[in-house]
Amino acid sequence: MSPNSKTRIRRFSPLQRLFHLLLILCFMTQATTGLARMYIETVWGQRLAWVFGGYTPSRTIHIYVGIFMLCIFALHVLYMLSKVNWRKFPGSLVGPDSMLPQPRDLKESIQHFGWLLGMAKAPRFERWGYWEKFDYIGVCWGMCLLGATGLLLAYPLVASRIMPGWGLNVAFWVHKIEAILAMGHVFIIHFFIAHLRPHAFPMDRAMFEGSVDLAATQHEKPDWVARLEETGKLESVLVPEAPGWRRAFHYVFGYCAVALGIFLLIVALVNSLSITW
Amino acid sequence: MLSSWLGRKKLLIGLALILMMTGLLGPAWAEEVRSTRYRYGAREVSTGYYEEYEVKPILYLPGGPLMRKGIPLESAPTEPIRWRTYLTDTHLGIRDYKRHHDCTDCHPQQGRDRHTVRAGITCDQCHGREPISGINHYWSPLSPIRRHAYICAKCHEGASVSYAEYAVHEPIPAMLSTRQTFPFLFFAFWMMATVAGGTFVVFLPHTALWGIRELLIMKKDRAESESKQQD
Ligand code: HEM
Repeated sequence: MSPNSKTRIRRFSPLQRLFHLLLILCFMTQATTGLARMYIETVWGQRLAWVFGGYTPSRTIHIYVGIFMLCIFALHVLYMLSKVNWRKFPGSLVGPDSMLPQPRDLKESIQHFGWLLGMAKAPRFERWGYWEKFDYIGVCWGMCLLGATGLLLAYPLVASRIMPGWGLNVAFWVHKIEAILAMGHVFIIHFFIAHLRPHAFPMDRAMFEGSVDLAATQHEKPDWVARLEETGKLESVLVPEAPGWRRAFHYVFGYCAVALGIFLLIVALVNSLSITW
Repeated sequence: MLSSWLGRKKLLIGLALILMMTGLLGPAWAEEVRSTRYRYGAREVSTGYYEEYEVKPILYLPGGPLMRKGIPLESAPTEPIRWRTYLTDTHLGIRDYKRHHDCTDCHPQQGRDRHTVRAGITCDQCHGREPISGINHYWSPLSPIRRHAYICAKCHEGASVSYAEYAVHEPIPAMLSTRQTFPFLFFAFWMMATVAGGTFVVFLPHTALWGIRELLIMKKDRAESESKQQD
């Protein structure tokens, strides 16, 4: 097969990949600085905080990167709104290319559970699987919740003008539990499904290269490929493999993120009984 | 005689007026008081409690503003001894009190908060030295009418009355007793814990099953292709 043969389907635009890249960088910084503060009573937490200059600088970095991340999220919301076909609104919100959950997702998730247990045939997924939609909506929900509570905690004097001071106790716990949920979900569930499960291993490069392997997609998302074929769009979305050096870079970068996530998760779990909750 | 008396009277009235005016403008000490209050008032965003902070309120309602709003700030175990928070010496009459050296001997939960554990703040930095007054006593620096200015603002410049309602000694949010003492925290905690727990309960087995299923399929495919090759 020549290196220029078009064996992959375009799945994400460069802008969407840039959003994801910034999200990875911000999320990892937030997780590391947040855990550094949360575990400051332990030697591990102190070492983690040392990387950022100590306990107080970790908070400063956490706040500024958090605000940067919220700005990126605001831009993403504008981008999302610009993608809605307002002439055909609200009908345009549903359909196979939409990220919004639809009745089909519920049906597919039940059938997929059946397949996992060896009791049903694998569902014929369209462009977005229910778990991918869950991940995407989860990020939006997390941004709103972590962002709102994070801003309240970052500016407590202003926050206590609009709510009683004890609201900060509540905000802190909401922030902490949502952060644990986000880190647990990304470091275990997202990483495993996208990179470590046998069919995706060693890595699903879709978000880095912007494309997915045609043969593998015909197997995993058959209804998407069938729709592209039926509408005659398949040819136009086929692209070749990325050059070797770029693929190598994607592997190194992706695995650094996976390794950091799993490291944070394991050490946080091991030390979880040594901190004051 | 009369005219000279009237003249002197006018002079006296004039002098009195001048004195009153200088009083109005304020001598140096008055300026100082005003400027102190001005600087304090400019930084502080409160409901104005600080205006009355040195005097016993005419109508002293036990409990202070926090308790009257129904937001108790102590955990349930301290509930039966709440009346002690109004004493000048809150430990008055407690047998063997002097034998204890560490406050956390009797208040273990009070040593488990972020101010104590992370910032290393000691009990007497906020509660003062012996005799330790009850936090609701009107002379206590921790009394809700001046806590924000006397205690919080030492580190958090600009702290307001509302800010001082932050529960430094937060009860454990998961405990049933917190439902009574801090219901918002209790319900927020359990709502978030349910969302997080629910996600993990569904998606962790889902992820594990997915991995196992694909491994089994791969094994089967490999066995099939091997048997085809042998044929
Ligand atoms: C992916 C997103 C985020 C994660 C994973 C995360 C994680 C955490 C963690 C683990 C903590 C420590 C809790 C503790 O000390 O016990 C924390 C605290 C905090 N977070 Fe975040 N956070 C995120 C987003 C944000 C955002 C967007 C902001 C707002 C700008 C923010 C502001 C704060 C603040 C102010 C604190 C309190 C720090 C302290 O005083 O100890 N966080 N976060």
